[in-house]
Amino acid sequence: MIRKPEDVLRVIAAARGDAIVVPTMTTAPAWRAIAPGDLSVTCVGFMGGASSLGLGMALARPDRRVLVLDGDGSLLMQLGSLATIAGAAPRNLVHFLFKNGVYHTSGAQGIPGGLSVDFVMMARGAGYRMATAIDDLDAFKRRLPEILRAEGPVLVELHTGLAEQTPMTVRERTPFHQQLHDARAKLLRPRASAAANA
Amino acid sequence: MPESIPAPLIIDTLKDTFREARAALRAEVAEPPVHTHLGWILSVPDTHQKTVLAALDKEDSIRVVTCATEDEATAIAAGLHVGGEPVVLMIQHAGLYASVNTLRGVAMDGRVPMFYMIGLLSREKDKDPRESRHSMVRFCEPLLDTFGVPHARLEGPNDVHLIPEYYRLSRTRRGPAAVLVGLETA
Repeated sequence: MIRKPEDVLRVIAAARGDAIVVPTMTTAPAWRAIAPGDLSVTCVGFMGGASSLGLGMALARPDRRVLVLDGDGSLLMQLGSLATIAGAAPRNLVHFLFKNGVYHTSGAQGIPGGLSVDFVMMARGAGYRMATAIDDLDAFKRRLPEILRAEGPVLVELHTGLAEQTPMTVRERTPFHQQLHDARAKLLRPRASAAANA
Repeated sequence: MPESIPAPLIIDTLKDTFREARAALRAEVAEPPVHTHLGWILSVPDTHQKTVLAALDKEDSIRVVTCATEDEATAIAAGLHVGGEPVVLMIQHAGLYASVNTLRGVAMDGRVPMFYMIGLLSREKDKDPRESRHSMVRFCEPLLDTFGVPHARLEGPNDVHLIPEYYRLSRTRRGPAAVLVGLETA
């Protein structure tokens, strides 16, 4: 098992290039600290929606990678999104699933099925082009370049311990609507700012 | 008395709506468009709008993504909006009830322009929807009122102008707006 999910996030942050990132739940506070002000939108207030939000961005912008930083409890809330993503078949979507077997944010109650739930099998069954599990940080570092080059949708089930912070211990500072607005502006360059930057 | 609206009329209206949205985006942003098609339909299949969904299958200029749930459709729509893509959601009233938290959390709190076409399955032709004997028909408009979502009824072919109007309204208010499809489309 990878003890600290923050270590995984640092590796992703170093390798992401110009990818759009969609963190959610316990990946969100750490991602904000590791990659402040980056091109990302946190899924907050609609648990389970990160993969769908990422799918929309991936379909809109096939010229960019979209990296979803999902949780096992979150994905279970919108499990059908695996089939929807596979059906839409975005080649640029990488779905990182941080699997710790609990709802960490609400007090670490076990998720249904706990650690025995096999999301790799589910993703393959749904039709993801690639799905794999990684439980070692060195293996993750070694395989990440291949994962980021692979034709999506890709699911990577990461077996990790618990994050140091949760959205309950570190509140999101930027409201969701502002994050969406900022990400849209970075991607589309509204004419006023485009002129200012010319 | 309400009338069924032919699917081709709805599709032509959607195309015009998407063309207008694309033109507005071109005026608003410097980034050139990535896609050549007109826009996106996110649907969770709706019996009431099935003729439109069937006709959309043959349309190359509109991309259709079938979603497993209305929650997904709403979140996908937000992602497409971030990327500058015009979107219409086609669902039914039961799907609206199933996805109110996402309507609140994404469309409202996220201030995302979100245009819904909602089928009023089982709506009686001779009754105002608010007086329907079916709770799924009766509660739709009151629910939208509770959430402050502006809505209008498509009661026949003469009402299709409400599609671009409410689409525009969702843009100007930066939130959800809906038209309710009164009878099964033809």
